[in-house]
Amino acid sequence: MKCQNCKNKEATFFYEENINGKKKSVSLCADCAAKLHMTEKFEMPALASPFSVFGNDLGNFFDGFFSLSPHVAAPKGKVCPGCGATFEDIAASGKACCPQCYTTFADELLPSLRSLHGDVQHKGRVPLVDRAAKEKENKLASLRENLKNAIESEDFESAAKLRDEIRALEKEEDK
Amino acid sequence: MWYQVKGNQNDVVVSSRVRLARNLAGFPFDGKLTEKDANAVIGKIETALAGKNYTKTDMTTLSPVAAESLVEKHLVSREFAGKKGPHALFVNEGKSIYLMACEEDHIRLQCILPGLALTDALRLALECDDQLGTLDIAFDEKLGYLTHCPTNLGTGMRASVMLFLPALTAGGAIPPLARQLAKIGLTLRGLFGEGSESRGCLYQVSNQVSLGVSEEEILSRLQKAVENIVARERELESAPKGEDAVRQSDRFARAEGTLRYAQLLSSEELFELFTDIKQGVTSGKIKGITHEKLLTLLIEAMPATLTENAPEKPKTALERDGARARFIKQALEV
Ligand SMILES: [Zn+2]
Ligand SMILES: [Zn+2]
Repeated sequence: MKCQNCKNKEATFFYEENINGKKKSVSLCADCAAKLHMTEKFEMPALASPFSVFGNDLGNFFDGFFSLSPHVAAPKGKVCPGCGATFEDIAASGKACCPQCYTTFADELLPSLRSLHGDVQHKGRVPLVDRAAKEKENKLASLRENLKNAIESEDFESAAKLRDEIRALEKEEDK
Repeated sequence: MWYQVKGNQNDVVVSSRVRLARNLAGFPFDGKLTEKDANAVIGKIETALAGKNYTKTDMTTLSPVAAESLVEKHLVSREFAGKKGPHALFVNEGKSIYLMACEEDHIRLQCILPGLALTDALRLALECDDQLGTLDIAFDEKLGYLTHCPTNLGTGMRASVMLFLPALTAGGAIPPLARQLAKIGLTLRGLFGEGSESRGCLYQVSNQVSLGVSEEEILSRLQKAVENIVARERELESAPKGEDAVRQSDRFARAEGTLRYAQLLSSEELFELFTDIKQGVTSGKIKGITHEKLLTLLIEAMPATLTENAPEKPKTALERDGARARFIKQALEV
């Protein structure tokens, strides 16, 4: 089996991992494994200086993953409108240059993000503003449903009340 | 300070930490962020936190020793302390939240607590996150919170615990443990020293993946793993018998004697003593020193913090080792 990274030397290092229930396997030659910090050192990198671990989250190890997909290339001349970065800029540093880089180069980044995280659908918390908007959306949907039911059952008194509520809530949204 | 307080299961679990990474939409990340932008980012954070009892420190006005002392206390990252360009620190009234403005991400907020306290650390970190609610945070429905480094996408969360594992270390159980943890998306790393074994027997376990898992899922996975490791460490820790017990007692007493009566103490030597004394405290053979006291000594005797607090600033290594020994002696007398 050939090395996945250089596609030249024989692979002697096999790495398998289960992230978020998705199996990921990597086969590398000894040189590439060392280069990508996937040898024993990866399992427990000892840090030279006390307490230097903070904020230094696996940087070296994962930076290498972007070079694991050498066949990925963005169309020529494609730059991020947010910061002017090209995909090569991002691949070279292993880091995005601005938030918009992620939407601009979504297709190009996807394979790397998959191998990093396994799953690429966010679960969990959303920003407070989005949370409020989502709640409002849900509330409007349920009010509209109630309004529909009220009209169908010819309960016009409730319907009028509901319509006012919906209008008030919609107006709030415009702000 | 967090390390002076008695923590849950602090014979094995030294600390629990939750860190959240956030960025402001419309600003480039570190590296492309101009000085003007960086100041604007700090200003926006300051406005968002106004009236919420946070104290702001302009890090560029701090002496290198004061900045390094914050690193030694685990309150800011080394990268942040040594950063060029505008960066500021916001600390809440209860001193449970340290928010770094213009670190690698625009916002890195963390809560560190003594002992096993992951749930509280997450709750406090999320409360602070909500206090930033008026800010326009870079977020994507698919990728979650957008961060400089793709390793932090999704929740932008890194939860970690610092563990003291002398028995597992002595039994050679650390490398296989690291492999097991990697399989469930957790990373184990040694905190001190070189090579595969950690000096001081201190390790950090943290989540490797932040996208596709919720904050609570990350936390419960880590919590379960830690409980398991603590149980294994305690199982191996069983008291020695016969000749071994005598030798162990002697080792603890010698370590305590050195700690109390040495006139010169290097940080390296203090680390060596730490392992024996902590085990001595756990076994009940060393009395009069608690785990939180020992941790306080270890942290406050580190070079920068020691220099910060010393009545007379030590200038040479010899003076520093002398000041360290005096500081410890004094701290143990009260
Ligand atoms: Zn290769
Ligand atoms: Zn960009």
